[in-house]
Amino acid sequence: MIQFHHVSKAYPPDSAALTDITLVIDKGEFVFVTGPSGAGKTTLLRLLFRDEEPSQGEILLNGQNIGRLKSRGVARLRRRIGLVFQEFKLLPRLSALENVALAAEVIGVPRKESHNRAYRLLSELGMQKKSDARPLALSGGEQQRVAIARALVNEPLLVLADEPTGNLDSQIADEIMRLFLDIRGRGTTLIIASHDLELIQRYGTRIIYLRGGRLAEDLERKVKKGSGA
Amino acid sequence: MSWSQMSFVVRRASSNLRELLWTHMLTSGTMAMTLFIFGSFMLLESNLQSLLKGWGDQIQLNAYLERGLGSSETESLLNRVRALPEVLRVRHITQEQAWRDFRAALGAQSNVLDGLPSDVLPSSLEIAVKPAFRDTPLVERLAARLKQEKGITLVEYPRDWIDRLSLLVLAVEWVKWLLAGGLFVITFFIVGSTVKLAILARRDEIEIMQLVGSSRTMIQAPFVLEGMVQGLVGGALAVAGLWGAFELARQEFSLSGGVWGAPNQWQFLDINGMALILLLGWFLGFAGSLFSLRRFIRTWRVLKSAAHP
Repeated sequence: MIQFHHVSKAYPPDSAALTDITLVIDKGEFVFVTGPSGAGKTTLLRLLFRDEEPSQGEILLNGQNIGRLKSRGVARLRRRIGLVFQEFKLLPRLSALENVALAAEVIGVPRKESHNRAYRLLSELGMQKKSDARPLALSGGEQQRVAIARALVNEPLLVLADEPTGNLDSQIADEIMRLFLDIRGRGTTLIIASHDLELIQRYGTRIIYLRGGRLAEDLERKVKKGSGA
Repeated sequence: MSWSQMSFVVRRASSNLRELLWTHMLTSGTMAMTLFIFGSFMLLESNLQSLLKGWGDQIQLNAYLERGLGSSETESLLNRVRALPEVLRVRHITQEQAWRDFRAALGAQSNVLDGLPSDVLPSSLEIAVKPAFRDTPLVERLAARLKQEKGITLVEYPRDWIDRLSLLVLAVEWVKWLLAGGLFVITFFIVGSTVKLAILARRDEIEIMQLVGSSRTMIQAPFVLEGMVQGLVGGALAVAGLWGAFELARQEFSLSGGVWGAPNQWQFLDINGMALILLLGWFLGFAGSLFSLRRFIRTWRVLKSAAHP
């Protein structure tokens, strides 16, 4: 589904964020990208949703070279990708329901349908009673649930999450990870950038370890029963 | 863009207009002020043109006729002159009429004419020129043509007066366009700056819309729609302000009068003039918001790239 062929990303004048990355991620995989700060985790994700273009190499998503997309193509690509960020990126002026529905409305889903989808997802994530609340009235975990609902509202092929539990305590982080596992159960591919080794040990099935912008390790492992996977 | 997307754009724009009411009022107020200045000049120019037209009506050529020209020859000459494209109207002044007019003009001193024969003055044609032909080269050409007419001995016209009038009309035209151009540029940048404030207040919204796959049109449309509404409101405020200022000036000048003519003959902008101000406001709002939005997104992209090396 996703193929990186000798992908490098450098910023002028001579700062290399990623160097010669080659890897394949199949449909439905649950992948952790980890490594120390500055290893290139966020850059790898940003290349996938075309917030950045690779300096070298190519990235194929379902056979399409996403490095060559023009702005309209980038918009279409992002409709197939759900994004979750550490800082949630919710609009404070909108309610939880409106924040989720916005992602569907902007791509042409009628308002009623968007709101129905948003309400259904918020209910599945245990947020139905707070659907009218504004983000600032919600806890960090609740805000992240809303952000996850927004990432799922257009039924994406791929969900990218950049440090999704970075602002949450360990109990809430566990809840969020279980939600991600449920999402994987729908057949969606998940790539999570995180430096939380405890969380990765507990939930990671495939772990891509970056160091200094290079692919240091690519591990696949079975997860013990009872760890949630 | 689908109906549901259009409905989304209208809802976003109207909710943003409500939530950032003071920012939008500031923009509309700025636009209203500059459109008011432009409108004032339009008003001044249209009234000055009417005044010049009144003065221009007084421009005429005098063609003096040969002595002893028969009535049928005079009638034929009159018809030929009337048929000229530059001519607005022609009045035949007989020798008797010229004598009476001259005596009347002298008034109390008319007795100096006693003893002179009443046919001492020649008969003549007073020829008024159409407004489009009231400048020096065209009047000169008409005078030359009249001189060649059989029965006309001399043609006179107030050359200096025509020169000055032509110059004044030309100056008004030029000042109008220079002022319009200058104001347009200034307003464009003022509107751009105030629209930028609204964009800055909603940069998170733009970023999120980009991240969820919104097209460029969908991102820009609510801002541009808001800009157009601001422009129309600014234009309407400017027209209302102009109306108030016009009525106030008319009342003030009705006491003094003078060279600017009777204030009750002053004209407010016609429907086309008012529509032009509204249209200009609409266009400034549209172009100003689109320009700042594009520039903002471009700058922002560069800054964002620089922040994530």
